[in-house]
Amino acid sequence: MLKKLFLLILLGTSVGVFAQGKFIAKNAYLSFYSSTPMEDILGESNEVVTILNGETGDIAFQALMTTFHFKRALMEEHFNENYMESTKFPKSKFNGKIEGFTKEMITSPVADIKVTGILLVHGVEKTITIPAKLGLENGKLVASAKFNVIPEDYGIDIPSLVRDKIGKEMEVTVKASYLPFGQ
Amino acid sequence: MKKSYALFFGLVLLFLSGNVQSQDLDALMNAEIQPTVDYATATFKASRIINGHSIEQMKKKQLDFRISHRFGTLNNGAYGLFGLDQSKIHFSLEYGLTDWLMLGVGRASQNKTYDSFAKFRLLRQSSGAKSMPIALSYFTSVEMNTLKFQDPTRTNYFSSRLTYVNQILIARKFNENFSFQLTPTYIHRNFVQTELDQNDIFAMGAGARYKLSKHLSLNAEYYYTYNPNSKFLETRYYNACSVGIDIETGGHVFQIMLTNSLGMREGTFIPATTDSWTDGGIHLGFNISRVFAL
Repeated sequence: MLKKLFLLILLGTSVGVFAQGKFIAKNAYLSFYSSTPMEDILGESNEVVTILNGETGDIAFQALMTTFHFKRALMEEHFNENYMESTKFPKSKFNGKIEGFTKEMITSPVADIKVTGILLVHGVEKTITIPAKLGLENGKLVASAKFNVIPEDYGIDIPSLVRDKIGKEMEVTVKASYLPFGQ
Repeated sequence: MKKSYALFFGLVLLFLSGNVQSQDLDALMNAEIQPTVDYATATFKASRIINGHSIEQMKKKQLDFRISHRFGTLNNGAYGLFGLDQSKIHFSLEYGLTDWLMLGVGRASQNKTYDSFAKFRLLRQSSGAKSMPIALSYFTSVEMNTLKFQDPTRTNYFSSRLTYVNQILIARKFNENFSFQLTPTYIHRNFVQTELDQNDIFAMGAGARYKLSKHLSLNAEYYYTYNPNSKFLETRYYNACSVGIDIETGGHVFQIMLTNSLGMREGTFIPATTDSWTDGGIHLGFNISRVFAL
């Protein structure tokens, strides 16, 4: 009897620790934007998955390239066919760590943080450090970031014919609202 | 016995929970991501392979403005600048009402023909969570010849001007670079020139695309007619055969081709191609497509 009770407690605590440890957002927002006098390009996805480990400060993002949508259907086709080559490289990923992570970061109001990690786009990995925000907002754990990415750094070739229409840098915006993992 | 069982069970649980804890975020994430349906996109670059329709269509609220030219035959020689002295034009406006229905209207200078068409997407090629090996569409059009009636002695009906086209488009993108399409075709012409001409034409089209680079592809198209017109006719008709390239530059697609047909609509190039590759009856031509998002 005592053992069963012990087991139950053990089970309870292990699940509890587990749920407390990680946070997930399955419908995080990710967009990239480029503006030139010729054309504005905005690609958006609301189906980005991200997990944050509240114990270690590890943070990961994954986006399926085919979930990005544009105002012009043709842009979407070109994005997948010519630039991202989505059949060859279906996912973009980020695996990083919050610099100087403390557990208080996820229980205090939104504050500036820095994240360093590996961004994988178009099959090319690069280590980047990005300024971001993390903390509680209206009782929810939220994260956001804004940073620039140069397509050429990731082996994405932009032909001279359309060079005037696509900006040298893409402004990437990320917004996620986390829930405890397993809920 | 029972006690040791419980202990064992407890240990397993402990181990399991610990294991989940140490799992890498990436693996956790992969478990969370649902398998998706991957639809084949850009089986062809434009809504035409060369002369005939491809499986591609305008997405919702996208408008395609197309201008096509076919010049005279190369065997005109230097005197006619290899056909460039003459040209036929076709222009059209084509709109995606929904992602699966596209409507278009056009006008060809050859026989002063107006046309309207509808293309329905019935199946999409996909892999992943839902697998479908082919894409299938139905294409139908009506073409109206508006040349002045040439024989004032007979009763001329409006219906005599109409040609109906029905096609099933079956396509597959085999890999990143190669796509192929079969196009069984049935054409009905209400009125034909002589009693030796066929009112009903059955044909099979085959078209292919090979991607040379991200912005350039090589296309070929052939329409085989099962019941060509009688050989006793003065005018010989040939199967339509074309080769061309697609050049894509952002919102434009340029298609440049060599073809033995002057017509740019199914009702003319399938049953009424009068030139032959073997005699040098080859026309240079181009299609320009410009897509607007409305």
